[in-house]
Amino acid sequence: MTRGPHTSALQALWIVLILGFLYIPIVSVVLASMANTRYMRFPHKVWSLDAYRDAIASFTTWQIHSISFWIALFVVILAVVLGTLGAVAFARYDWRGRGVFQRLLVLPIFFPQPVLGLALLLSLNAVGLAPSWKTAIFAHLVWIVPIVTLVISIRFFGYDPAQEEAARDLGANRWQVIREVTLPALWPGIFSGALFAFLLSWSNLPLSIYTSGPDTPLPVWLFSRTATNYSPLVPSVAVIGTLISALLVLSLALILLAAKRVRARRP
Amino acid sequence: MLHDTTHITDRPVILSLAGLSKTFGTLKAVDDISLSIPEGEFLTIVGPSGSGKSTLVRILAGLEAPTSGDLFLRDTQITQSPANKRPTAMVFQSLALFDHRTVGQNIEFAMKMKGVPAADRRNRALELLQLVRLPEDYYSRPVTQCSGGERQRVALARAFASDPEILFFDEPLSAIDYRLRKTLEVELKELHQRTGRTFVYITHSLEEAMVMSDRIAIMQSGRIVQTGTPAEIYSAPVNRFVASFMGEVNILTLEKDTGGKQVFSEIGQPVQAARGAYAMIRPEALELGPGEITTQLTVTQRLMLGSRTQVHLVSELGATLISELPGTAPELDIGTTHPFSFSTEDIAWMDE
Repeated sequence: MTRGPHTSALQALWIVLILGFLYIPIVSVVLASMANTRYMRFPHKVWSLDAYRDAIASFTTWQIHSISFWIALFVVILAVVLGTLGAVAFARYDWRGRGVFQRLLVLPIFFPQPVLGLALLLSLNAVGLAPSWKTAIFAHLVWIVPIVTLVISIRFFGYDPAQEEAARDLGANRWQVIREVTLPALWPGIFSGALFAFLLSWSNLPLSIYTSGPDTPLPVWLFSRTATNYSPLVPSVAVIGTLISALLVLSLALILLAAKRVRARRP
Repeated sequence: MLHDTTHITDRPVILSLAGLSKTFGTLKAVDDISLSIPEGEFLTIVGPSGSGKSTLVRILAGLEAPTSGDLFLRDTQITQSPANKRPTAMVFQSLALFDHRTVGQNIEFAMKMKGVPAADRRNRALELLQLVRLPEDYYSRPVTQCSGGERQRVALARAFASDPEILFFDEPLSAIDYRLRKTLEVELKELHQRTGRTFVYITHSLEEAMVMSDRIAIMQSGRIVQTGTPAEIYSAPVNRFVASFMGEVNILTLEKDTGGKQVFSEIGQPVQAARGAYAMIRPEALELGPGEITTQLTVTQRLMLGSRTQVHLVSELGATLISELPGTAPELDIGTTHPFSFSTEDIAWMDE
């Protein structure tokens, strides 16, 4: 196939269109955050950064971010531990009932989240637990652990289990086999699983809305303030939240890159 | 230094197997195997798939526990000791290289587990690269960037790095193309001679075993049916299974005809002084033209094998035979009938 100048021009246009489609909503939120209107609308006449000043000065901004952050942090840690163990059961070993386990595990992913959230709230009431940010962690885990398990499991397909036997044959004890062979092989999966867990928890609305009780995570606050009592504070907090999660992901990537460099330099 | 392999049986025994068995459910994968392996021997265990040879070598390496029987390293009972406590190393069928590591890190693994300092590990790894004929700059290359043959060499170097008394090989060359396999077979044999270590090699190819081994053990359904030097196995297979395992051979059955004479049932020819129930005649021993035992055979297929020609033949009684003749044998057109013969000296007799 030959590629004329028209083809590449069309290709460029296509890419610009897709990127535009993805970014216009985000840009419009940024623009809305710099207005001082009572409704989210565009174009607006007065430009100001007042909303950002208010957001940074407000205690609520920090509170909702910190609640979302702590939930996401615990979700990441627990989901990675459970997901890794789950992946071992899911993909590494063949055992009776594995097929059933594999199917049952992915089922919660397909369950509509608002219904799942309500069901979890009812269960919490039934066992007498008061909803708070801690119960929201549990609710997130129900939905996120299966996803993380699947992400980590992918690493096991195309993994040669004989590597573990080889390590043992070469003098490694059980713990050394896990540390030197199994975990390094799984590491890219664990990393993507952790990233998924963080982002899915950080932006989760339908589960949090039912199960976080009086503690308000970022998406719940954004949702309720968009529905009632809107002010440019809402888009500005959204922008701040996006920046924080982007920074976290970026710094994690940089840390990994640095670690890789150090490891490569070491003989 | 080359060591002399002719008197290998006089050497002290390094590994002895006493009645080893392994059952999986109702299947007897390894069935009461007893064998003594002298120090420095290149022993090859040959068998078709499902004969239990892989299970046997996994028991020897400590990756599988036997259901019954004992294993001794010199005089020490090691039946229950795990793989990481045995002074042995295995080259796996899949090679089982650590994919996320470099060639150097793969080779150094055993030394790292022993706590050898980094500088010493590196020096030893570079020596080992030389031993397996890989260039030094492969040290920092990821194993995923190595070719099939290079990966074989890395696996070999990694096994040698633990300084093992015995090396086990579980069909490492089975997935490699013919020419490279031939090269690696010769290199492996040379490596054995240079290092003087004990090698226990598993394969389904008797041809491979013939090339490399001091001694061959043939496995069938979990049992060892014959052990011997390649020459012994070649000239005197103990049964039809071993004979047919060697590739294309003619096996004739003896029966008594109505007059009480011994005849070969496939060709209807009588034979004097039979020493078994079956006779193996190699294709090259079945010659064109009359001789001691002559029979008329019709050509059904003619294959060129370079300097020789292989012809597929059918007897008047309908049995198929194979002959290999020097040159191109131009007179043997398909469909023509000729006298073929063999001498009783070329027969290997078998009882079963």
